[in-house]
This record gives sequence, C-alpha cells and structure tokens, in this order.
Amino acid sequence: MRAANRSFSARARQAWTIARTELRRAFLAKRGLWVYALALLPAIVFFGHGVDAKWRTDRLSRHGLTDPVVMNSVQKGEAIEAVRARLGKPAEERGGTRVRRVRKRGGDNGTTTHVTEPAVDARFVRLNISRPTYSGETVARIYEFEVYGADGRQNLALGRPATGGPPCSPDRGPEKAVNGSVAGGKADSWCAENWPFFLQVDLGAVHPVKRFVVKHASAGGESPESDTRDFNIQVSSDGKTYTTVATSSGAGFVDERTDYRVLVYFDGRREVRFTCVDGKVDSWITDHVLNLEQDRMIFAGIFQFFYLRLAIFFGCLGMFMYLFSGEMSNRTLHYWFLAPARRDVLLAGKYAAGLIASAAIFGGGALLAFTAMIWPHDPVEVQAYWNAGGMAHAFWYVAAAAFGCIGYGSVFLAVGLYVRNPIIPAAVLLAWEGAAGILPHVLQKISILYYLQSLCPVPAPMDDDVPTLVRLLAAPAAPASRPAAIVGLLLLSAVVLWIASRAVRRMEISYGAET
Amino acid sequence: MTPPKPSERAAASEPRERSEPAERRTSERIGGSGGAKPPGVIFDEVSKFYGEVLGVNRVTLNIPPGITSLVGPNGSGKTTLMNLMTGLIHPDNGQILMRGISPRDPEALMRITGYATQYDTAPRWATGFTFITTGLLLFGYGRAEAEEKAWKALERLSLTEAANRKVAGYSKGMRQRVRLAQAIAHDPELLVLDEPLYGLDPLVRAETIALFRAWASEGKHVILSSHVLQEVDLISDQVVLIANGMIIAEGTIRTVRDEIQEHPSQYLVRCGDPSGVASILFSEDHVTEIRLNDDRMGLLVMTRDREQFARVLGRIALDGHRIETVVPADENVDALYEYLIGGE
Repeated sequence: MRAANRSFSARARQAWTIARTELRRAFLAKRGLWVYALALLPAIVFFGHGVDAKWRTDRLSRHGLTDPVVMNSVQKGEAIEAVRARLGKPAEERGGTRVRRVRKRGGDNGTTTHVTEPAVDARFVRLNISRPTYSGETVARIYEFEVYGADGRQNLALGRPATGGPPCSPDRGPEKAVNGSVAGGKADSWCAENWPFFLQVDLGAVHPVKRFVVKHASAGGESPESDTRDFNIQVSSDGKTYTTVATSSGAGFVDERTDYRVLVYFDGRREVRFTCVDGKVDSWITDHVLNLEQDRMIFAGIFQFFYLRLAIFFGCLGMFMYLFSGEMSNRTLHYWFLAPARRDVLLAGKYAAGLIASAAIFGGGALLAFTAMIWPHDPVEVQAYWNAGGMAHAFWYVAAAAFGCIGYGSVFLAVGLYVRNPIIPAAVLLAWEGAAGILPHVLQKISILYYLQSLCPVPAPMDDDVPTLVRLLAAPAAPASRPAAIVGLLLLSAVVLWIASRAVRRMEISYGAET
Repeated sequence: MTPPKPSERAAASEPRERSEPAERRTSERIGGSGGAKPPGVIFDEVSKFYGEVLGVNRVTLNIPPGITSLVGPNGSGKTTLMNLMTGLIHPDNGQILMRGISPRDPEALMRITGYATQYDTAPRWATGFTFITTGLLLFGYGRAEAEEKAWKALERLSLTEAANRKVAGYSKGMRQRVRLAQAIAHDPELLVLDEPLYGLDPLVRAETIALFRAWASEGKHVILSSHVLQEVDLISDQVVLIANGMIIAEGTIRTVRDEIQEHPSQYLVRCGDPSGVASILFSEDHVTEIRLNDDRMGLLVMTRDREQFARVLGRIALDGHRIETVVPADENVDALYEYLIGGE
C-alpha cells in the first residue's frame, strides 16, 4: 500500500477513473440542459429549413413540374396568354392591384385642379396652406389661383381683388395670383413667408362655383420641390362663415394603380414568379427552393458567428467553470481532494470529463446540423458536393467544434479556479475574443477564435451590406495553416491548463463559516 | 507534487523533544513494540489565517499513534487543524508532517489516511455503495476488490441495508456513518475523524469506539474531535485541548485535567460584606490571594481548587452573608473547563 504506484500509467488510470465518474454529471447535469439546447439549435434551424423546403416543393409540384428550358424561354413583354399556353397551368397564381403614389412632373406642370360637386355659392374663395413646400422651406408660392363657375369657362377670380399673407417682396403681392399669367417669372407669383399662409379672392358677388385650379411653383418654372404640399380651399358667401370644399395633399401627386398578375412556375428546383402588368410579362424573380451553395454559406455563417463564438463559448463556460466551483458550492469538492491523487491528476480527470462531454455534445451538434443542412437536397447534387470535398468539410466542422471545446474548456476551467462568478470573466473573454480580429497579429494568436477560424473549411461569409466598419474590424489575420492552428491551439490550452494546475494545487476547501 | 523538503524529512525523523512526560509515556505505551517507531503527526509552529481572522495560531504538536482527541468548543479550531492535517487547507506558517508525509502530497498521504469530515454532503448521484466504491477505485484497486472493500466497510458500520440507496436520502446519522465507512474503507493507518460520534445511536457508537480501539492497538493514528470532553474521556489515549485556535493543554486526560486544576483560577465575588467574606476565605488552603475590589463591593479571589471554593462559598452564604454574584475573572481556561466538563 505504502509503495504507492507513482508511475505515469497509474496516474493516467486515476485520471480516467475521475473522468468516468465526472462524465455522468457532465452529460446529465440538470443545469446543463441549456447546453444541449445551444448545441442543437443550428441542427433545428436547418432541419426546419429542410422541412419547409420539402413542403414548398410538394406544394409547387402539385400540378406537375415545368420544363426548365421552356421556363427559361419566357421573354419580357410576352403576353400572359402566350405564357400560359406554352408553360401550362401555373403552380400558383395570384393577382392584385398595386397602389403607388407617384409624383407627376411635367405632365400637369405643377397645376392642381379641384372640383366640388355640386356647385356651391361663393363670393369669397380662400386658399389655406398648411405645408408650403415639399423641400420643407416655409415659403408659399402661388402663380395663379383660378375659380370657375358652373359653366366652367370663365375664370371668376381673374383680376378680382385678392388679399393674403404679407408678401416676400412688394412686387409679389396677392394680386399676382389672379393676374391671369404665370409666365412672367418669380415676379408673376404671390409669395409669402410668414404664417398664416392664405390667399383670398373676392369674386365681387355670389356665384355658383365648381372648379378651382391652382398653379404652383413649378408651373412658373421653379423647382417642383417648392410646390405647395398640403392645402385646402374654403368658400364663403358672406365673408364670415367658410366651408371647406377641397383638401389636397400634394400638388402633382397621384395614386398610380397597377393591376398585376403573378404566375408561379416550378421546375423542381427553381421557383420563378412572373409578374405580369397589363397582360404582359413585366419582370420575374427566380428563387432556388433548395440551393446547396447558399445553404453551405449560411451554414458557414451560423457555424462561425453563432456556434463557435456563442454556443461553444457559453456551453464550455457552463460545463467547465462548474467542474470545481460547482463542487465547491455543493460542498463535495473535498471528496476529490481527499483522494490519493495529485491535484493535477484531478484537474486532468475533470478536464477530460468536461472535454469528452462538450466535444461529444458540440461535435455531435455540428454534425447533426451539417446533416440537416445536406438532407433535403437533391442526392445527385449532394454526391457532387461530397466528391468535391464535402466530407472533409463535415470533418473539419466537427473538428473545429471539438477543438473549440479544448480551447474554451481549458480557459474556463482555469477561470473557474480563480473566479467564482462567471459573468465578469465571460464578458471580458467574449470582448477579447470578439475584438481579437482588430488586434495586432501577435495578440490575435492568444485568442481561441483565431485558431478555430483557421480550422473552418469555409471562411465566414461577409455580405456586401455589412457596414464597412464591421468589415474592417472583422478582418482577421491571415489564417494559420491547419497543422499550425492545431499546434497553436493545443499549446495555448496547455499553457492555460498549466496555470490552472498551479491554481488547483494551491486551492483550499472553504465552504464558508468554519474554523 | 514535490517530495517533502529535506528539512521536513529531518523534522520527521527526529521528533522534537517535548517536556510533557505524559506524552512520552503514551507513545512508549503504544508504539513501544521495539524497532522503528512510526513517526507521529507533527505540527511545527503552524498558523492559519482566514483573511484577517485567525484560524489556528502557532500550533506545535507531536501526536503519537493511538487515539487522540481534539477537544474544544465549537469554533475553537478543531476542524481547521484536521483540514490542515489532510491538506484541504494549507498553513500560512509552519510545517506539518503526517507520519513523515507532507499534506501537500495527497497522492502519498491520502493513501494512508482516511478523513471523515463534518461536511454533511455527498454527491447527488451516489448511493452508499457507489460512493465508497468510486473512492476506492482511485486507489488503484480493481473493481471487484474495490467493491469487496466497500462492502466490508459498510458492514462494519451496519449500513449494508441502505447500501443501494442514494446517500442524499440518508438520515443524518446514516450520512455520518457512510462518511466514516468511506474513511476506513481503504484500511488507512492514519484516521482523522471530525466529530465521529456525533449523531450515532448508542449501539453503533459502542461498535465504532471498539473499532477505534482496535486500530489504535495496531499502532495506527486515530485522531478525532469532539466538543464534549466526557464523550472522549474514556476512549482517548490522549487529548489536546483547543480554544480560540490555540493549544491549551495536551496529554493524557489526567495530565490535562491536572494542568487545568493546577492553573489557579480567579473569581470576582460580589457581596454585601467584602471584608467579612474575605476573612473566612483567608482560612482556606486553596485560596492563594484575595484582593479587595476598587469599588469596595467585591473581592477578587485566586483559588487552586474551584470545587472546594464553590463549597466554601455555599457555606458562607448559609452563614448569612449576602453573596450577589460569582463570576470567573479569567475567561480562557476556566470558561473552557466549565464548558468541557459541563460546569454548573
């Protein structure tokens, strides 16, 4: 008994015994259920995507598939009936009216016409402006204000006395809006720059009026931006009580209504939606129901940005920090310390348990997600991908996940020996790992992520719409070669574990309140 | 872990000479079978601080094989001493050698040591049987051997019926026993047991004590703690009295008792007639000194025998002197004694 076997193999056996005991807890801890959730999330996302794609395929191919060549032959401007005749009954068809407010420039020359039906009796006609321009400038400009009676021929306002808000300059008074011309430049318009913006014409006697024509800034040659935006027209026969007869928001704006039909055809892989306007093909959108290329990029993105950076990071945090501090708070750590084992053997055993569990969970999660990503695709396409290095991709994803557990596991095991509350170190590390991309090259090499990214088979995709700053920040150092990355990561983890072993050797049992 | 430093080895091979004859007697009686005596449990000027708070202060001990009881009130430092012995905590100053092995080498020390702690916890997954078996596997035993030893340990503490139930569901006494069983399962030569008798029913208690005796007679160390002196009075070969992290007395029960007895105790006696009471007390042999308190309302009395002193006070009171209060003026030793002996 006394001649304790201190050989390496005896210690390794001890570490394995410790690991076996700890494995159960590492895998089955109730508080560790969320680790599984993190690990399985990508698989669930891709599985959902696959099921959705299958459903969509089923739905679209209910009426049979369209020949892809025929589908490609559709030309812009082709009549909808011709398309129907050639391609057959579409998989889906819908139609509707698209309403769009469009600014009519030129066509009506900044002139708006407002009709009130039936005609009303009026002597005083007033134009109230609530938003003078489109540009936001608070200057109202009216080149001509015309009022027509029931016959619609005679401009009742022409040359009549007009009043209004104080003019911008003496030569641009309200009388310029009833002088019958717009062609004389700015001096041919009424202009006001103080609230209230209004223009009133006295028709001299009560007339039935029916139609009003307002000529805004662009009618006189100014920018359409200076056209009156919101205004109304009121009339009164006694100059005391006014009735609103027209309200307008927008000079020169109309609702453009377009009737369209969408014909959806499906050739088994591509869903093409032809939008037809006025009975003619106007445009189309091609959508690959299942695009392996695209799915692989999405997988690469999810793997790098979610799986490596967040899921494995926090998963390892939960599993490895708990190895010692969890037993400390459960008051069971002393059982290990009272075993006839070196503290670093204990550390090795616990690390091995955490590593096996986390690598199995996250490696398995990665593999499952990869399978779920591949599963719905066309077997021929998958075979082609497989022949072009697909299997290596799958292997390296799983390997990157496992190496992530090695790296983050060692870090969090060490952190757990020094700090009990995981929040602060987690935040610091997350910031460090996240910011490592912008650090000098030397510093990048002491972040786990650097090595993991080097292991990934496909670089993280970066969309064009990613902000330049982020793009700049995320630019990683030139990735290391795979063997270099593995060696680097293992060295880094070894250094961290060595620091941890020093801490665990000094570690004391303190469950609080004891002497 | 590094092997013990040369200085530690030296300390181990030459236990420092101590003056207490009682201790030497004990070690001779127990380990005196001739040949190489197994070295003792040695503390050399060991101090441990918990931050600012003192755990134990400059403790020097040389515990020979046999049953040794660490006795002291709750919070006196018994558990700290035991945790230091087993390396669960490390001393800030001084050195510890357990039969020649430093507690910083658990690989060697824990092979010969069993420690039943007071921490009333067990891993959630463990049944009594798996709990002990798992521990034994770490010793390098094969599974069959580990299971056999675990079963034997459970049998010794009458736990076989509950062996396959979760420890978490055990009663307090059963958990106490399962910890004991775990500590003894690998047949250690050095047993450290924190309050091992606490919570045991009389039958198991008697069996456990018999077990301790058997081990002690084999030359093993059995170091146990208690906060009741009477409890360990009969079974201990020697006791170590601890209070406030310091060793108050060490040796056989009789030596310790004498040591406390011989230590003159001081009492503050408040009475209506100080000079009258003083004159009566002066006639007693055991009273060594009497001083009138400054406020002339009390006496400070030094006595060598508190029992006789108590009797005299009773007599004085019966004689019609009004005695208001009697308060021990020297807290340390007296308070400890009162506490341990269950003073009235």
